[in-house]
Amino acid sequence: MPFFRQTYCDTTQSVNMAVVGLRRWAQALSKGRRSGISPFLSGSRAASGPLKSELPGSYPSTPEQKAAAAKKYNLRVEDYEPYADKGEGYGDYPKLPDRSQHERDPWYQWDHRDLRRNWGEPLHWDFDMYIRNRVDTSPTPLSWSTMCKQLFGFIGFMLFMFYLGEKFPSYQPVAPKQYPYNNLYLEKGGDPEKQPEEVKNYEI
Amino acid sequence: MHSPLLMTTTLLIIFALLINPLLLTFTPSPLPNRWHSTSVKNSVKMAFFTSLIPLFLFLDKGTETIITTWSWMNLMTFDISISLKFDLYSITFIPVALYVTWSILEFASWYMHSDPYINRFFKYLLMFLIAMIVLVTANNMFQLFIGWEGVGIMSFLLIGWWYARADANTAALQAVLYNRIGDIGLILAMAWIAMNLNSWEITQVFTLASNQDLTLPLVGLILAATGKSAQFGLHPWLPSAMEGPTPVSALLHSSTMVVAGIFLLIRLNPLMEQNPLTQTLCLCLGALTTLFTALCALTQNDIKKIVAFSTSSQLGLMMVTLGLNQPQLAFLHICTHAFFKAMLFLCSGSIIHALNDEQDIRKMGGMHQLTPFTSSSLTLGSLALTGTPFLAGFFSKDAIIESLNTSYLNAWALVLTLVATSLTAIYSLRLTFFVTMGHPRFNPLSPINENNPMVINPIKRLAWGSMAAGLLITSNILPIKLPVMTMPTPIKLAAIIVTIIGLLIALELALITSKQHTALPKRSPYLFSNMLGFFPTIIHRLPTKLSMILGQNIATQTVDLAWLEKVGPKASTLLNLPLITTTSNAQKGAIKTFLMFFTLTIMLTLPSLL
Repeated sequence: MPFFRQTYCDTTQSVNMAVVGLRRWAQALSKGRRSGISPFLSGSRAASGPLKSELPGSYPSTPEQKAAAAKKYNLRVEDYEPYADKGEGYGDYPKLPDRSQHERDPWYQWDHRDLRRNWGEPLHWDFDMYIRNRVDTSPTPLSWSTMCKQLFGFIGFMLFMFYLGEKFPSYQPVAPKQYPYNNLYLEKGGDPEKQPEEVKNYEI
Repeated sequence: MHSPLLMTTTLLIIFALLINPLLLTFTPSPLPNRWHSTSVKNSVKMAFFTSLIPLFLFLDKGTETIITTWSWMNLMTFDISISLKFDLYSITFIPVALYVTWSILEFASWYMHSDPYINRFFKYLLMFLIAMIVLVTANNMFQLFIGWEGVGIMSFLLIGWWYARADANTAALQAVLYNRIGDIGLILAMAWIAMNLNSWEITQVFTLASNQDLTLPLVGLILAATGKSAQFGLHPWLPSAMEGPTPVSALLHSSTMVVAGIFLLIRLNPLMEQNPLTQTLCLCLGALTTLFTALCALTQNDIKKIVAFSTSSQLGLMMVTLGLNQPQLAFLHICTHAFFKAMLFLCSGSIIHALNDEQDIRKMGGMHQLTPFTSSSLTLGSLALTGTPFLAGFFSKDAIIESLNTSYLNAWALVLTLVATSLTAIYSLRLTFFVTMGHPRFNPLSPINENNPMVINPIKRLAWGSMAAGLLITSNILPIKLPVMTMPTPIKLAAIIVTIIGLLIALELALITSKQHTALPKRSPYLFSNMLGFFPTIIHRLPTKLSMILGQNIATQTVDLAWLEKVGPKASTLLNLPLITTTSNAQKGAIKTFLMFFTLTIMLTLPSLL
């Protein structure tokens, strides 16, 4: 594929641009993949976009189709597994393991260092979710259920204890505790025959 | 002398001094190499000394001023103007913020000296400072919102300073998203206030809101504070923000930006005074935050993360104070906390740089022999943090705990706060033990020394602040609310007792560590603390994954499926098919029979017609 240097326009370079454009037309006509009038009209189109055979296709039903799809996606036939054909529109796109880029070796010299990916590697359907700024699927020391139980158990316990704390608040008493019935005379074992002395707790 | 005029003039000079270095950045010519220290640091220093004038005027005469300059928007009866309020809170906060920023900028000149974009770094820090001052001096909600968003954006840019690092980008994104959730609350409150009170001027809001049920806007404001001040639920961004350079952590994520949420609630405290539900909410949320983050701080190994969780815990304590209806105590804690927390960060930065960018405390040790001044300042900062008598933290923290113990409040909140105070002592001692005591656990490196005044002077200034600030502020500013003066002696000493218990436990644990009784701690509680209660693990994985898969499904499959198959052409096919089938099946095709019957009927009826 010819490599075209981008020239940013300048009146002195417009002639250059015209020559480049003319060259493109000539090359497209001679080697162009698209037939018909379109390469003639816009020669720059011939060098852009994937071929029809490189685009994702329909679900592969035969082993030959599976092999062709695996080759297309740069996978081995043993590794290639399409999504189930449930009418969801996945076609022959490979089902890769749901592992995020966090789990890849941070020290290996990847072609794209920030994405931890090599050129030509098949992209996961949810690749944009599995980059290093998004979801992390790294293994955790505890299982998911244990972690959820501990966190939500902690939060639930705290909420319950706050509820109890509202019911039984803490405060500093401002006066001694006052009891009714003459300071609980009978309950404290006072003689029921004798008249108890009056207890005055406060005066208004 | 005409004190309002003098005050107004000096305050506007402060703004001019801070904006001046930024004006130079708009010119096409490149900045001089030392612009960051000659222009930015010096302007902040001058602004600090200028800001002392309004402070002394206020302390002497009680002068407060509201400067309303430019009428921005006038919509029927709703006015928004640039309105700056200089009352106790802003007049005291501005010198504190400028003093701390001056020290941090001087330190940053050394810390970031090898960075090619140091001028841009200082520009960002200055822009942050201006946004913070706009927030603090705002007399209307719109201006406050501008400052609020401004500090949020600068936080994003500064956390992601080393933008080639994916973790820094993730942390910056986390900060923005969590702050955004909080902003929903602020916007809700602003919308409610605009609709019901028809004004965004804070003084007018206080007057008009006296007979209204303010639960909804107050819950919105609490949500805003939860986001900005990293309360439980929206807290994970604060420890992640340690991805940014240490000066950023010292300025934004300990002293100034994170207190913006608390400051908002302090400013709008008159709205909260008559609403016990929101006060209880603040109390419980703050208590939960302070305990949870203190628990998390116990097992962290990154020096900056420990200090970050410590910040979060103190922010929880400030929220508790607001729940006690003591905004001035919360503000006092903001001021004293700024000094010792910034100092802790600067000491951490100095130690990190000295050890060739090592941040793990397990690989430090013996710094007291190697960097005596820095380690002493670290110890001083830790002591101030734990509330050691007569250092800065004591005046605010002890007052808060006294007020807690003598109030009628949720008993569990009280218990949690006292336990968290004890945990503060534990993790502070752990930090000091691992960093300064014992023998070095790293290889001998290039010479570790403290001979650079750009490092020592800022830490020294902040050390003086950590010692004197509490005393100075409490001596000069009268409390608005009367504190409880009489209480039983154990209650009075509760804070100290609890701190000493924590220190003794920590010392005991430190001794066990050095004797290696057990190989590993008990797994479950250790993991709960070390993995931050599993909160980030669960919340950053599951909801994100579900919403992104849902989004992807909707965008790529469901939309096409809906429009083409369920609603569009195929659906009309499916609907029409039974109709067509029924209609065509009804046609028997016996055309000759039909014609015969038709002719017969005509022949039979025709004579009658004739």
